Amino acid sequence: MPRPPEPEDLRARGRWPPPPGRRVAIVGSRRPSPYGEAVAERLAADLAATGVIVVSGLALGVDAAAHEGALAAGGCTIAVLGTGVDIVYPRANADLAARILAAGGALVSQFPDGTPPQRANFPRRNWAIAALSDVVVVVEAAEGSGALITAEAALALDREVMAVPGSVFSPLSVGCHQLLRDGAGLVQNARDVLAALGAQQEVLDDPLKPPASLGLEAPAGGRDGLLQHLSDALMTEPGTLARKLGLPLPEIMSRLTALEMAGAVGRRGAGYVRLAPGGISRAGVG
Amino acid sequence: MATSVRSVLLRGLDVLPVDVEVDIATGQPGFFMVGLAGGSVREARERVRSAVRNSALPWPPQRARMTVNLAPAEARKDSGGLDLAIAVAICLDQAGAAAPPEAAFLGELSLDGAVRHVDGVLVAARGLARRGVRRLFVPAGDAAEAALVADLEVVACHTLQEVTGHLLEGLPMPSFTGGVADVAEAVAVDDLAEVHGQAAARRALEIAAAGGHHLLMTGPPGSGKTMLARCLPGILPPLTRDEAIDLAQVGSVLGELEPGRPLSARRPFRAPHHTISMAGLVGGGSGLARPGEVSRAHHGILFLDELAEFDPGSLQALRQPLEEGRVSITRSGGSVTYPARFMLVGATNPCPCGWEGDPVKACRCTPAAVDAYQRALSGPLLDRIDLQVRVSRAPLEALSEEPTGEGSSVVRERVAAARGRQLQRQGHLNAALTRAELRRLTGIRPEARRALERWSSARGLTARGFQRAWRVARTVADLQASDEIFEAHVLEALGYRVADAAAA
Repeated sequence: MPRPPEPEDLRARGRWPPPPGRRVAIVGSRRPSPYGEAVAERLAADLAATGVIVVSGLALGVDAAAHEGALAAGGCTIAVLGTGVDIVYPRANADLAARILAAGGALVSQFPDGTPPQRANFPRRNWAIAALSDVVVVVEAAEGSGALITAEAALALDREVMAVPGSVFSPLSVGCHQLLRDGAGLVQNARDVLAALGAQQEVLDDPLKPPASLGLEAPAGGRDGLLQHLSDALMTEPGTLARKLGLPLPEIMSRLTALEMAGAVGRRGAGYVRLAPGGISRAGVG
Repeated sequence: MATSVRSVLLRGLDVLPVDVEVDIATGQPGFFMVGLAGGSVREARERVRSAVRNSALPWPPQRARMTVNLAPAEARKDSGGLDLAIAVAICLDQAGAAAPPEAAFLGELSLDGAVRHVDGVLVAARGLARRGVRRLFVPAGDAAEAALVADLEVVACHTLQEVTGHLLEGLPMPSFTGGVADVAEAVAVDDLAEVHGQAAARRALEIAAAGGHHLLMTGPPGSGKTMLARCLPGILPPLTRDEAIDLAQVGSVLGELEPGRPLSARRPFRAPHHTISMAGLVGGGSGLARPGEVSRAHHGILFLDELAEFDPGSLQALRQPLEEGRVSITRSGGSVTYPARFMLVGATNPCPCGWEGDPVKACRCTPAAVDAYQRALSGPLLDRIDLQVRVSRAPLEALSEEPTGEGSSVVRERVAAARGRQLQRQGHLNAALTRAELRRLTGIRPEARRALERWSSARGLTARGFQRAWRVARTVADLQASDEIFEAHVLEALGYRVADAAAA
């Protein structure tokens, strides 16, 4: 078991040590479904709004969504890097890193300055994420995902592990469901996480209500409900839609493009997914 | 007295007429061959001597000095096809007879005097007929090829003796009457009726076939990309006679035609492996370049499976044929041009492991690796592919059911009708529409144009990408027998522009 770094072992850019407060790590797949991305972003935003500091790894996908959510709520967020703190990897998140610093957050790393991205360093970084957090929430992790290493580290370090459930059809749900079966806390919304942090009063308001904040309301249906037949987690092929709706494929294709241009659906693999309303998710929106 | 007999050398799909001159005189004895004879022509001396003697024909006396000149002298000659002309010239010269007017000879000799097959007889016959030759003596097995050329009397030669007997003693040698060879019936092996699901990919295939558009299919291993591509010949109309002759010329140069049945109405389907060399793909070789797979696929389909695995240089070399429908290759022996107007159908995995985007199996590639893989395909080549479609694996339960889609013959009728509309309107397929033609001929409605412009500006399309989407929309409209392009046609066409969507 690697020795988890203490905060003073870390090199940092930005505000360090961080302001006092509870810290929650939100980690998950680098290529989440629109659902996973929306959950991560919304969860981070809701937690940050209550003063929780969101910790993640500045990777693409769930990590980036978590940082974005925290920033959107005006919160403080910490990015734990697998490279030296003077290197931002992946490059696509350079702008995000700058905004984290500008918002009073921090980039931290246990590796010396100038350390380039190296495969072996990322699992060690995942231990650091766990060490810096009170609770680790996993949002969409396929089997063998790096996010599961973070969860393992959290258990070893006696941190609370929680997971967001997903579709049973999606390979991205396998890791989270495994964690839930093994006793991880169920996360449906920020209240569940706050409860685990000991903020009891937060869960008193109707925990069974489907969390509206996650954007799971029934969408406004298009003509013939083309949108109702689309999921936000799993892609549906145009041919399947044509069969279900009893419409010719050319018509389905042209209507999907119209929805795509309106930002309501996006392409995933050979099919289409519904995108979260209101542009919560940035993925695939034209 | 010197005798001159006409023969021919191939220069790609063009010919170089060669005059074989023979002079038998006194002087230092010997058999000299001049006029830049290459290896196989120098060896002709031995073949011709044996063939003449073994045909019981006279050979110049030991003391004679015989010179064979191959004119024009500056062109290098490397072909066994001159054997027959050399032997005929020698025999005519000894008999003091003149060469027959407007006639040419083509064929290799065996040592016993039989006339052997040579490659490229169809090309040679076409070129010679254009240059005024009216009577062509060719190996018997190749006569059907030569007979495809109009206004040319073809004489099928079995032996040298037969030819000299005809020329010197007036023995009858009938012209070839195998008649104009029929175009062999096209038999499609793979039928769309066998394809499970894949509604969008089938539709993309139909649009590609109707407009002559290039197509890229992206999907995980086992998703049926190859099967879909193999169905394409079956939904295209059979080759016309002119197209079949064009294609047969390539086969003729390569010596790949079926003896006696040179024409086939079957659309070629070529699927070279990704390890193919550039010379194999676009043509090449030493001396004069030979046609490659792009020319074998003329008027048909070039299917490149695992497109991302092909050598980038080879893919770059596809740009000229994709744009001009022909390929020019320069080698030491000169520059040749071969036809290469094909539909490019590419297939690729979405990422190195192949499972990106699969609903069941998770992809193990890093996002950077996926990006790099897809970038390898992008750029100039992808920019020339009108239609891109994602295919997915059919669920296992679907494989045990009877496929329910239309068969190839139904689709072929729609494709033929749409092609007919295009040819009537602009004389060629939509894939070749120029910008001016798009504006002038395609009848795009204002709201359809606005949709195209909206998409284009949101995706940052180049002018070329904009026109590609427009052409595909025109084909979609043609499939519906619509004179105008409606908004729905544009929107459907944009559904097959995966690369644009990814650029969003």
